[in-house]
Amino acid sequence: MHLDPFELSQPTTIEEAVRLRAEHVDGSDYLAGGTDLLPNYKMHLNVRPRLIALGNVAGLDGISLDRIGAMARLADLERDRAFASSYPGIGEAIREIATPLVRASGTVGGNLLLETRCFFFNQSEFWRASLGYCLKADGDRCHVVPQKEKCYATFSGDLAPTLEVLDAEVEIAGADGRRRVPLERLYDAQGDGIHRHHMAPGELLVAVYLPKDARERVATYLKLRVRPSFDFPELGVAAAGRFDGDRVLGLRLGLGGVETRPRRFDELTDPVVGSRLSDERIRAIAEGVVRQSRPVHNTFLAPEYRKRMVGVFVRRALTKVRDSARVA
Amino acid sequence: MATGGTRGTRLLGGRIPYIDGPLKVTGQAEYTDDIRRPGMLVGRLLRSPWAHARILSVDTSAARALPGVAAVLTGEKYPTPFGVLPITHDETAIAIGKTRYVGDIVAAVAAVDERTAERALELIRVDVEPLPEYTDPRMGVEKVAEPIHARGLLGTNIQKEVVQHFGDVDAAFAQATHRVRVHGRFAGVTHAFTEPLVTIAEATADGRLTVYSATQVPHYLHRALSEVLGIPMHRIRVIKPEVGGGFGGKSDPLPHEIVCAALSIETGRPVKMLLDREDVFYTNHGRHPTDNEVRIATDAEGRILAYDIDALIDGGAWSSFGTVTTYYNGILAMGPYRIPNFRYHGRRVYTNKPPSGAMRAHGGTNLRYSIEVGLDEIAEATKLDPFDLRTRNALPPNSTTINDFRITSTSFLKCLAAARERSGWDSKFRKLPYGRGVGLGCGFYISGSNSPIHFKPVMPQSTVHLKVDMDGGIAVHSMQADIGQGSNTLLAAIVAEVLGVDLERVRVPRVDSDVSPIDIGSYSSRVTFMMGNAARRAAEDLRAQLLRAASHRTGHPVEQLEVAYERIQVRHRPDVGVTFMEALHAAMERAGALTATGAYSSPPMGGSFKGARAGTAPAYSFGAYVAEVAVDPETGLYRAEKMWAAFDCGRPLNRLAVEGQVEGSIHMALGQVMGESMNYRGARLLNPSLLEYKIPAPAQMPEIEVLLVGDDDPEGPFGAKEAGEGPLIAALPAMGNAIYDAVGVRCYELPITPDRIVRGIEDRRKEGRAWKGA
Repeated sequence: MHLDPFELSQPTTIEEAVRLRAEHVDGSDYLAGGTDLLPNYKMHLNVRPRLIALGNVAGLDGISLDRIGAMARLADLERDRAFASSYPGIGEAIREIATPLVRASGTVGGNLLLETRCFFFNQSEFWRASLGYCLKADGDRCHVVPQKEKCYATFSGDLAPTLEVLDAEVEIAGADGRRRVPLERLYDAQGDGIHRHHMAPGELLVAVYLPKDARERVATYLKLRVRPSFDFPELGVAAAGRFDGDRVLGLRLGLGGVETRPRRFDELTDPVVGSRLSDERIRAIAEGVVRQSRPVHNTFLAPEYRKRMVGVFVRRALTKVRDSARVA
Repeated sequence: MATGGTRGTRLLGGRIPYIDGPLKVTGQAEYTDDIRRPGMLVGRLLRSPWAHARILSVDTSAARALPGVAAVLTGEKYPTPFGVLPITHDETAIAIGKTRYVGDIVAAVAAVDERTAERALELIRVDVEPLPEYTDPRMGVEKVAEPIHARGLLGTNIQKEVVQHFGDVDAAFAQATHRVRVHGRFAGVTHAFTEPLVTIAEATADGRLTVYSATQVPHYLHRALSEVLGIPMHRIRVIKPEVGGGFGGKSDPLPHEIVCAALSIETGRPVKMLLDREDVFYTNHGRHPTDNEVRIATDAEGRILAYDIDALIDGGAWSSFGTVTTYYNGILAMGPYRIPNFRYHGRRVYTNKPPSGAMRAHGGTNLRYSIEVGLDEIAEATKLDPFDLRTRNALPPNSTTINDFRITSTSFLKCLAAARERSGWDSKFRKLPYGRGVGLGCGFYISGSNSPIHFKPVMPQSTVHLKVDMDGGIAVHSMQADIGQGSNTLLAAIVAEVLGVDLERVRVPRVDSDVSPIDIGSYSSRVTFMMGNAARRAAEDLRAQLLRAASHRTGHPVEQLEVAYERIQVRHRPDVGVTFMEALHAAMERAGALTATGAYSSPPMGGSFKGARAGTAPAYSFGAYVAEVAVDPETGLYRAEKMWAAFDCGRPLNRLAVEGQVEGSIHMALGQVMGESMNYRGARLLNPSLLEYKIPAPAQMPEIEVLLVGDDDPEGPFGAKEAGEGPLIAALPAMGNAIYDAVGVRCYELPITPDRIVRGIEDRRKEGRAWKGA
């Protein structure tokens, strides 16, 4: 398996990067940490002839308490003392990503925009040709749920659910300038594993912004996977809450690793604002999330089991948030 | 630095760091992929995307026309079949007539670089007619429409069937008080060695062929190259550079090795064939997916009366070691307990999947798992402690099993005692809180197969040559294959021990058939025992030469002399003597450089019935492990907290290496327990990558206490037996039984994935069967 030759552009400004990408709209990819993109290229997955490297682009870096540059390395975020002590919940999520080696290269932006994954997609050219190509690369059918309309590849980023429950916003640069959107609205609600987010071709993720009250929230991230290292999530649950004594001031719940996008469940958590987060309420929320989540068989563990574990992990995450808030 | 030896030795029995360690950790050690030859081409393989198909035509014209392509090869050119066992030659270097699995080799290319070679592969057109696919051994036990191989029994896909009966099993079951039946199901697992498969071949103008390869068995490769390529062995030179792990996966002569050599012959240039990880998964030869049924009968006191065993073994596309596998899945039940009645029916069936073969503790793990789980069920039924049950049944030393295995040394009872005491078993078993548990598993394995695979011409299984010149450096030549297990270090230490010299005098040059005498390689846990004995004898021969010279020099008869550190001296007058170098130079005066030879052949053993030689070995290893686990009953996730590994390898000659083997074995065993499995959709391997094939992460490793309690074996070198494979076996059932102790769920299927535990707990609750109050 080898990487085919590609053209490499190394812009130094956001505007230049966006312009280059627009010029080669179907023939290029942005290259951030490369920990996911380059292995995919080796497998000949949607290879583009040009890579626009973001490493030298000014304005994409930097870590502060209210802004994370999209090119910040996951390991930098882990090591930044001020950040780590202000956002222990984000630290939990980062430490669950891949391995230290991958985190040294992998970026925040790359993790948020991680390509969705599937047993039938993340395979070599030889393998995919032998079974028949799928919707997501070179083919016209889905091997997970046999039909020709929709891709079920799983969103496997660990950072998105956590940043979603902190009400993070993302700044996006495009040909028409900059815009900011709440992170959870970045992802495609139609739930398609190919058109997975609402960024226009050529748009560039610049930074993540955290609201003032994010630091006041108690947050956690729980991840299910076979091995406590290396593996992408079989499911990931993030929860964040603000409390006044026992009373809930705000509560958010995010789920990743199960469907084509990370999801928040405000309709289940909003009703508890103002009241106590009892075990019964936690159980009811967990049941609600389980009812709504639809894992398919495209990861290592069986979907029935993952669906059941969604309930356990949601309950544990909410209980943990509530109980840590009490101790604090 | 090496620490001192035990039981009267200077080095052996201590902790001896690997002599090749510094080179390996600094990257200076030379592996096959590090080798560059002038004008070297890149070889690539075209693999079949079809599981089972008749090849109608292979059109290579476009590939041949591509600039930069030096050769394109299809199967017809080398039709001679080969295979590791002489009785089952059913492989060809490249498929001829049909393809038998997704990944089978259909054509090969040599080109100036990787890209050109891969583009050439894309230009090869293969026309096929699909054939019925047999992906499960059950599909092949009756007559089939299109047998995978013509050699299948009576039009089926059965490659080998074994039926054995000793004693009277039916009568024993009829009179038994307790009977248990375990139906075990085991996914296939693979070696996943670190260094991928790689070969360099160089056919030269003098009509010779040199092959460098990542192999465990240079000699069998040498034979296969000669047979298939039609070149006499003496014109082929096989070199084994450093090898980064094998675990059985580099013990067959493999098709890519032969194809690489063929491409070099075609082109007259050196060719390198480096397989990527996916290629390695397709080459496989890993542990067989297996279904077994183990029935055990005991009397009221838990004494084993009989075993009745059936195994259905998924062989994949080739025979490989399969005939041996089929025997081992029954007869390795003959220890560590006394079995008075025994019946076995085993079938290994071809399927359209990557070939299964030999993997560390070959044939020993799946059978053992079912037996040890069954014994725990009997212990529970008889209200006996699992340790007491096993102690009661232990095979005695110096005994013969009902199928004529010769048992000499066994310290199995000492293993049981050590594991029980060190683990605190009596205060833990069934006493830890719900979710925590301890489990016992035991093991038994051959210490070197008594039967060499190739027995013509008759020759020793191991031979060692020593050479020492005036510089005082001693070279140990042999064809044993250090694949990371430390055999180079062991041989050097044995030679240094016998001669009394410093370890740094001894070098073990890489295996090279031009200079190394034949040894049949690193498999069946034979190297320490057989090569160790050969090295010891060679060193004793050399020592005799030095003693004679020292005698001449000192005027004292040889009988009065002894070897001390770097010195030969008079036994009761240590001040009178010569240094090693003085003795050496004295010995060299007439003969020049000294040489010495040692060899080992195992003694005759085994019965005279069909298959009697299978499983016979000059010694056997034994083990008793306790695992302590913590299970999360709600998620089914669990971890091994601690493992107490009591093992009888006779006398451990290099404790550091033996501990490493035990720890590495436990890691590999935990893989098969906790998540490693080759998963298929139909005939397609779903997870041919190290991301989706779940080798345990370092963080999943338990704390391990290695307890080496073996007594000296009477025939092993300095009392040693094997420690390379046997240490794996007991760890699997120890885990399964510990999970039962923790949450009351019997796991009959490996790997034990968390969903299976959750389902088991739920079933228990539905049936109202509480466990430890939960």
